[in-house]
Amino acid sequence: MSFLTPILLAGAAAFLIPLIIHLLNRRRIIHVQWGAMHLLHEVLKQKKRRSQIEQWLLLLTRIAIPIVLALCLARPVLNALNQLPGFGKSSLIVLLDDSYSMRAPTADGTPASDHARADLSRILADLPRGSDAQIIRIGGTPRPLNTAPSTTLDLLSSDLTDIPAVQGPVSLQNSLQSALAAAQKAGNPSKEILIVSDFQKSDWSSLLSGASLPALDALTNQKDDPSKPHLTLYQLPTQLSENLAVTAAELSAQLVATSQPVALKVRIQNHGKRPWQDIPVHLEADGARLRTARISIPPDGEASLYFTQAFDSLGDHALTVRLEGDTFTDDNAFHTIVQVRDQLPVVLLDGAPGSSPLTGALDFFNLALTPHLGASVPSLRDLILTRTIDPKRLKEADLAGARVVILGGLERSNGSLFPILRKFVENGGGLLILPAENADPLKWQSELGKEAPFLPAKITGQTHIENIDFPARLQTSRFTHPALLYFNDPRSGRLPDGEFQHWWKLDPQGDDARTIASLDRGVPLLIERPLGRGLIIQSAIPLKPGWSNLPLQPWFVPLAQRLTAWLATQDTESSAHLIGTSPTLALSDSQTTQPFTLTDPLGQSSALKPESATLTLPALTQPGLYQIKPTDADPKSTRRIAANLDPAESNLTPLAPAELTDLATRLGAQSATDFDSYQRLDRSRRLGIEVWQPLLLALLALLFFEVLLQQHITSPKRR
Amino acid sequence: MATLSDILQSEDISSLQHLQLFARTVVEGFTTGLHASPHKGFSVEFRQHRPYVQGDEIRRLDWKIFGRSDRFYIREYDEETNLRATIVLDTSGSMGYRGTGGVLKLDYARKLAASLAYLLMSQQDAVGLITFDTKLRQIIPNRTKISHLHLMLETMIQTKPGGETALAPVIESLGNHLKRRGLVILISDFFDDATALLKAIGVLRHQGQEVVVLQLWDRDELEFPFSRFARFENLENAEDHVALDPAAVRNRYLEVLAEFRQQITEGLRKHQVDLLQLPTDQSHSTALRQYLTLRMR
Repeated sequence: MSFLTPILLAGAAAFLIPLIIHLLNRRRIIHVQWGAMHLLHEVLKQKKRRSQIEQWLLLLTRIAIPIVLALCLARPVLNALNQLPGFGKSSLIVLLDDSYSMRAPTADGTPASDHARADLSRILADLPRGSDAQIIRIGGTPRPLNTAPSTTLDLLSSDLTDIPAVQGPVSLQNSLQSALAAAQKAGNPSKEILIVSDFQKSDWSSLLSGASLPALDALTNQKDDPSKPHLTLYQLPTQLSENLAVTAAELSAQLVATSQPVALKVRIQNHGKRPWQDIPVHLEADGARLRTARISIPPDGEASLYFTQAFDSLGDHALTVRLEGDTFTDDNAFHTIVQVRDQLPVVLLDGAPGSSPLTGALDFFNLALTPHLGASVPSLRDLILTRTIDPKRLKEADLAGARVVILGGLERSNGSLFPILRKFVENGGGLLILPAENADPLKWQSELGKEAPFLPAKITGQTHIENIDFPARLQTSRFTHPALLYFNDPRSGRLPDGEFQHWWKLDPQGDDARTIASLDRGVPLLIERPLGRGLIIQSAIPLKPGWSNLPLQPWFVPLAQRLTAWLATQDTESSAHLIGTSPTLALSDSQTTQPFTLTDPLGQSSALKPESATLTLPALTQPGLYQIKPTDADPKSTRRIAANLDPAESNLTPLAPAELTDLATRLGAQSATDFDSYQRLDRSRRLGIEVWQPLLLALLALLFFEVLLQQHITSPKRR
Repeated sequence: MATLSDILQSEDISSLQHLQLFARTVVEGFTTGLHASPHKGFSVEFRQHRPYVQGDEIRRLDWKIFGRSDRFYIREYDEETNLRATIVLDTSGSMGYRGTGGVLKLDYARKLAASLAYLLMSQQDAVGLITFDTKLRQIIPNRTKISHLHLMLETMIQTKPGGETALAPVIESLGNHLKRRGLVILISDFFDDATALLKAIGVLRHQGQEVVVLQLWDRDELEFPFSRFARFENLENAEDHVALDPAAVRNRYLEVLAEFRQQITEGLRKHQVDLLQLPTDQSHSTALRQYLTLRMR
């Protein structure tokens, strides 16, 4: 046991006061020459022994009172933990939540992230001399602030000021794994993993409800290991429970032609218990406000609205959706980039052209890609410009400038086709293969197995549905492929209306082949496989009557266009990024030598130098629109990207105190909600447990006991 | 050393002159005045002459003076009585208690005994004195002469407290020394076993003695006013002592005391013995007046 204020222990000497009084009383005892002794003997016959015990008890109680009082004031701590090896100095691994939600205000109005930095500085300053610390930022992908444990804690503390809270949700598994790895490198046997976070419910609720984390299990399973790190949860409770957020702005097409309208579907989430009425939502294009809509959102609900916009000029155009009325403003806007291109050249290699309309292998597809062909209205201009070529006569030069090749109806290869296609794809082109109606699987396999081993699948046979009343349909579980995300919304088309009577059985080849759409019979419909910088998608059906009613479905047009647009743009970087990420842009050959200027949403510019054929941007720290411009080049080659906050961070609801306690119990951890409580915790762990509270209770009990005993001794009713 | 005047103060004597002691029961012998004794008027000791007045008995005329002076004088004699009063004084150690009021119990007892002796002698009763502690110490036989009073007073003065009390056997042995029935005035604190004491008094009563008990109490013994931790040492036995917190036992002490006094009172009443409980802070005359008032019923 040790004492935090040992000087006050001197007060224990006050026990001498009652003792001295007692001894003086004993010394100054009066002697009475007494005659009526027989009466006293009668009195004392039963009382004498008990009275002596009571007198001693009273004396001991009176002596104990000042001693216990002095112990209380000296703040004793039980320091059994001092016996741990290497105790005193310790290794601290801090998992600092720098996610965007840490910007929410705490009780005093300052952001939780500022509190976290300030408290962490105090914690670092409070570490015993010789301790080391490592800070890992855990918003989004865990990133250590210092790669090795640092003993220069003051410098580490100053580094904290450069950590903005802009990252996405905390990945617990990755964070704890990083912490465990850091703990293994820590230099002291006594270790602590300190998680400093607002403990958003969305991040922790699964763990609280019993989900397991391998990294956490690895930590909690070290029960008998004396060097097992202590786990501490340090919550900075935010006070903002109401928040509106624009969680998404989905474009109907990433790639549009000039004057072609693009639809923007906006989702707004209400993370609160208050209903919102007629919230103004603005659409801004390239920084100019275009129009405003109003929307009402129920508590804990979501609302959607649509904007449409067309652009007259080529290039990357910015669209921003911004709402008003919410105090937590950073997630009130969502930015996206629309790539406006002149036209997208697509080559159709039709191996079985028809003699009459819509009888060729690619006629339906061609129609779907160019629905406005011949229209005179500018807004109905097709983005895609198709050109049909006989695959037997294809030359490499035919594909110059083309972004996508659609191959259909090919029963046999002429030997030169696939080398050309391979080169085209490897250079970044896209290839969609629709099988021939009468293909011979054996020939296909034997010929193409040698000529085109890079194809996504082998044809192994054909399946035919006899009962046309029970055709196969698309498996309409949620799509994850970017080209098909659009169809997750039921309003995008009734996919179950597509019926399939025949299909080729596809067997994916290569480890990198993946099925992007299936039939409800469990067979693949579309298989994708990358090749070089390009991509190949292979279909299980031709677009011919009798195989399916696919070409007759209203959603066939967007399906064909999205697949084609995906193949045309898959080698270009996404223009939508999350805050905290470092995008990498591919450069053309002419751009690899020139410097670039990056302008962030605040208008601050910085110079960037490309590395070989790519340009890596620094981590995006501000939500908004970024501009990347070659220093000495045509302004038209300027590229723009949008950076948005992770929508999961907009739900600011933290774990309630009871939930935090439950979580700590489950993790075998301890919890604190401010520096003082952490300091008490740390001291009790490092020095021991402060026991002045039970001593104070004991003191009160002694005082009561003394009074009761005194009353008992002098009670007239006493027998 | 105490002197005679210390014991018997002049104001006490004056006060007592107006009191008369009446014996309740007839004892052997005779008495004059208000004594209910078969007194015959036969005197042996000359006292004075006084002029004859009408109604005086002719036979009491002193013819010798008539012969010399030709005047009639009546010859008066001290009347002799048969009331034999024996004052039995407790001189045990417990009587040596000097309370917080500063009064020594034995002093009070001596004064009381002296007052009684004087009173009785002034009525020509035969007064004797017996002192005792564990046994009878001094025995002065009953006499009526005033010089006998001085002997008793001197004996009282020389008496010192000491020794243990053995009241019951002493009272029982009194019968051997009191050949004739009379009045036994027992002055003591009666700090002894109440049962044995009452039994002994019963024996005395059975022998035909009239017994009057004057029980002395110091105010400390009645109220137990001590507050500081104290060591109580037995006045009758130096080895017997107890150290205690008086405040802690006071209530219990008062209860035991009340039981003891009640036991004595009831026991004596059963034996038709008068009891007067006298606190030592009360004046002797007041105490005696109370007693004589009681005796005149």
